Amino acid sequence: MDTQTVVLNILEDLTGEDLTGHLDTELFDSALLDSMDTVQLVLELEEQLDVQIPVSEFNRDDWKTPQQIIDQVEKLK
Amino acid sequence: MVYADQHFATIAAFLGCVKSGHAYIPVDTHSPNTRLTQISEIARPAMTIATSELPINLPGQIMAADELGRLLATPETAAPNPATRANPVIGGENFYIIFTSGTTGQPKGVQISHDNLLSFVNWMNDDFDLPAKPRMLAQAPYSFDLSVMSLYPCLTAGGTLVVLPKDATSDLGALVRLLPDLRLNVWVSTPSFMAMCLLDPNFNAQSQPDLSHIFFCGEELTNQLAGKILARFPEAAMYNTYGPTETTVAVTSIRVDDELLSKYPRLPIGYAKSDTFIDYRPGSTHEEDGQIVGELSITGPGVSKGYLNRPDKTAAAFTDNGATRSYATGDLGVVNDDGLLFYRGRTDFQIKMNGFRIELEEVNHYLNAQPLLKQAVAVPRYNRDHQVKQLVAFAVPVEPVTDALNFTKTLRGQLSSAMMEYMVPQRFIYRDNLPLTPNDKVDVKALISEVNHNA
Repeated sequence: MDTQTVVLNILEDLTGEDLTGHLDTELFDSALLDSMDTVQLVLELEEQLDVQIPVSEFNRDDWKTPQQIIDQVEKLK
Repeated sequence: MVYADQHFATIAAFLGCVKSGHAYIPVDTHSPNTRLTQISEIARPAMTIATSELPINLPGQIMAADELGRLLATPETAAPNPATRANPVIGGENFYIIFTSGTTGQPKGVQISHDNLLSFVNWMNDDFDLPAKPRMLAQAPYSFDLSVMSLYPCLTAGGTLVVLPKDATSDLGALVRLLPDLRLNVWVSTPSFMAMCLLDPNFNAQSQPDLSHIFFCGEELTNQLAGKILARFPEAAMYNTYGPTETTVAVTSIRVDDELLSKYPRLPIGYAKSDTFIDYRPGSTHEEDGQIVGELSITGPGVSKGYLNRPDKTAAAFTDNGATRSYATGDLGVVNDDGLLFYRGRTDFQIKMNGFRIELEEVNHYLNAQPLLKQAVAVPRYNRDHQVKQLVAFAVPVEPVTDALNFTKTLRGQLSSAMMEYMVPQRFIYRDNLPLTPNDKVDVKALISEVNHNA
C-alpha cells in the first residue's frame, strides 16, 4: 500500500471519516483529532510505515491536514 | 466557586476559601457555559472567584481576575487581614466540592470534608516514602480530582508543583520540548498522559534523573504500558492506584514491578489503605470463570458525606454505619483472599476515557437535545486492553446528510457549547434508524459489538 492509503486508513480508524476527498481538512481545528489521538497517530504511522517521527520537532501546524501528514511521512522515509 | 486555570492565583484562591471557612468548587476554565450555569444553580455559591475572565454572568458576588490579581499583589503587612481571623475549614466541614458527570445532564457535587482530605493526604505522605520537599507534576485540571493527588501532598510536604497546563500539553512537540526541564521527583498523571510522553524516546531515567516515584490514577493501567515505563525508569517506584471521587482521590495502591507484571496479565488495582475497608456490596456478587465478582463497596474516613443538595442521589449510593460511611462504587471487582483488588468494569453505563469519568446517559441526553438530530446514542469503542479509546455516536439526523464531514463539524460545534469537550463523541455515524430490542429500546449491545467487531 502506498503512504497515502496507509495514512488515510489510520485516520479513518481514528476519526471514523473517510478523508479521501478531503486531504486539506484541518484535523485538529475541526476536532476530528484531539491531543490524545496524536499518540495513536504517531504510534500507528511509525509501526505501519516504518518511520521514526522526531517528536521533539513535532509541530502540530505541520501535521494538521491529511496531505501534510502524508508529505511529512514521505520526507521521513 | 473558583473559575480555575492552572496558575498560582488558582491555588491562592483555593487556600483563601478554606482558610476563611468556605469550601471551594473548582470549575475548569475550559468548561462550557452551560456547565457553569448548572453548577451555580445546584451549589448556589456565595461568591465566584475568577482567575480569568468569566464568559457569562453568574448570580452571587463575583471577584474578577483583576481584583484577585490586586489582592495577590498586596504586600503582607504586620496588620492582620480580618479575613485571616475567620475560622478555617476543619473536621467534617466541606473542604472542596468537585462536580462529576451525572446521568441526566445534571452534574453531581461530591462534598469532600477536611477529615476526608486529611485521611488521603496522610496516606500519601506516610505510605510511599516520598522525597522531602518533592517536585511534583501538576498536570490534571483542577476540576478533576486527580489534581488533588499532587496538590495537597506536595504543599504539606513543602514541595514544588511543576505545572504542565492544558495549553502546553495539547501540542505534542511543545510538550516533548518541555519535558527535559521539569526535573521532577514525583510523577502524577493518568496512564494515557504518560503514554503520550513516552513517544519521546529521550524521556527516560537519564533525562529525568531525579524521578523516584510514579503514581497513576483515573483509568486502568495496562500491563503493556507499565512494562514500557519500567524499561524507561527501572529505578523508579511505580504505583497503580484506584479510587472514585466520592472516596477522596484514591483508596488503593500497589507497587508495579517486574514480578507483578509477569504474575498478572491484567494488573490489580491494589490493596486498600490501612484506614479503609473494601468489600462487595451485599447482594451484588455473582460467579464468573470460577471467581466471585461483585460491586466494590468502600468504607472508611475518606468516604464523602454525599452529593451537594441531592439527598436522593446520596441515599442511593452512600450508607451510614454509625461511626463510618460506605460508598457503593458502581465498579465491579474481585477481592482476593488477602485483600488484593481487581477491576472488572462497571455496573452501569459509566465509562472512563483518558481518565475522565463519563456517564453515557449524560452524553445521550445532550445528543438527543440537539435540534439537528432525531435520535442518537453513544457507545464506547475499546482497544485490545479493554480501555475505552473512543466514543462513537450513532445518530439519526432530522434531514438526510449529504456532506457528513461538514454536518459533523456543525454538530460538534453545537455540542461543545453544551457539554464538556471530553464528553463529545469522537465519531459520528449517521443512520436512517437505530436497531431496536424486542422491547423497543435502542439495542445498545448490538451497536457496541458493531464498533468493536468482537463482542
